Amino acid sequence: MTTTERDLVSLDEAKLLVEYLEKGDREQANALVDTITMRESTELFSEVGKLTRQLHDSLNNFQVDERIANLMQDEIPDARARLIYVIEETEKAANTTMDAVEASMPIAEGLNQRITSIMPEWQKLMGRQIELGEFKDLCHKLDKLLSDAAIDADALNTLLTEILMAQGYQDLTGQVIRRVIELVKEVEDSLVSMLTAFGDVAELTLIEDNPQTSKKKTDIVKAEGPIIDADTRDDVVSGQDDVDDLLSSLGF
Amino acid sequence: MNKNMKILVVDDFSTMRRIIKNLLKDLGFTSIQEADDGNTALPMLLQGDFDFVVTDWNMPGMQGIDLLRAIRANDNLKHLPVLMVTAEAKKEQIVAAAQAGVNGYVVKPFTAATLQEKLEKIFQRLG
Repeated sequence: MTTTERDLVSLDEAKLLVEYLEKGDREQANALVDTITMRESTELFSEVGKLTRQLHDSLNNFQVDERIANLMQDEIPDARARLIYVIEETEKAANTTMDAVEASMPIAEGLNQRITSIMPEWQKLMGRQIELGEFKDLCHKLDKLLSDAAIDADALNTLLTEILMAQGYQDLTGQVIRRVIELVKEVEDSLVSMLTAFGDVAELTLIEDNPQTSKKKTDIVKAEGPIIDADTRDDVVSGQDDVDDLLSSLGF
Repeated sequence: MNKNMKILVVDDFSTMRRIIKNLLKDLGFTSIQEADDGNTALPMLLQGDFDFVVTDWNMPGMQGIDLLRAIRANDNLKHLPVLMVTAEAKKEQIVAAAQAGVNGYVVKPFTAATLQEKLEKIFQRLG
């Protein structure tokens, strides 16, 4: 408001007022005073009115903003569940990997030991110093070793594939963490708008210009990432068997 | 199954691309290329005489379902078999993928055996 920066009454008006008073024209004098004060209060009233409306709007806006309620009620607990899912998945992957490594090591060691135990006789064969009895014995041992080694190689391959598959956790947890990061961003935005709404009313227009994006429509084809609560939902499949059943019911 | 067929693996996570690539190699496939979303994949498919696509659903840029639709809408690509390998597990999504013409749907986390089974099924059907 700029009222203090200019005269509340002009010199001409003051002179006129003195003139009326000297003349004893009370009616004219009162009318003039009214006009002068009215001009100021009209401005003041309209300013107060504007502020009231902005405050009203900002309070309304704040209440209507379901985003904050929604964040607190659903999304924060949801984020907690997601982070727990991350811990579980990484733990599972670490255990799967270590189990496979622990199962692989004895197989590799066993192969190594058996090769070492055959080595002396084999060296003799290569040096053409082997006796017939030893040679027969070596043949049996080698025969057994070769067939066992084929089985062991298969087993190792299976274990290595298990380790490979366990690394899928990075994709699954990565998708989940991305969603939590989005949520953190949203909480941050909400806090900023809350501060803006209650801080400087004049800045409200900024928020209004910024359409909120939190209205999450449950677009059925929209990607959701890994389902962390499959057992409590009936709109999701709980594994590959469900997928196969669903697809075969569609004629696949 | 022709082990020399050209395969494109589309996933935004490089770890998952490596996993699928390794599984496919283990199954004897030798010609495998990668793309990190539909926008990268589509031009590659249009230029590169691929025989098979394995794609994720949830990717920044062009999502897998849109890539599938783009493939089916293109006269040069529409015959291309597409296997979806994704964490997306909503029934509506699986139905939507089926309607868009997907050839197989594998939900993550998956096993090597599942991937192999779906591959065999797809190529058995195609003859």
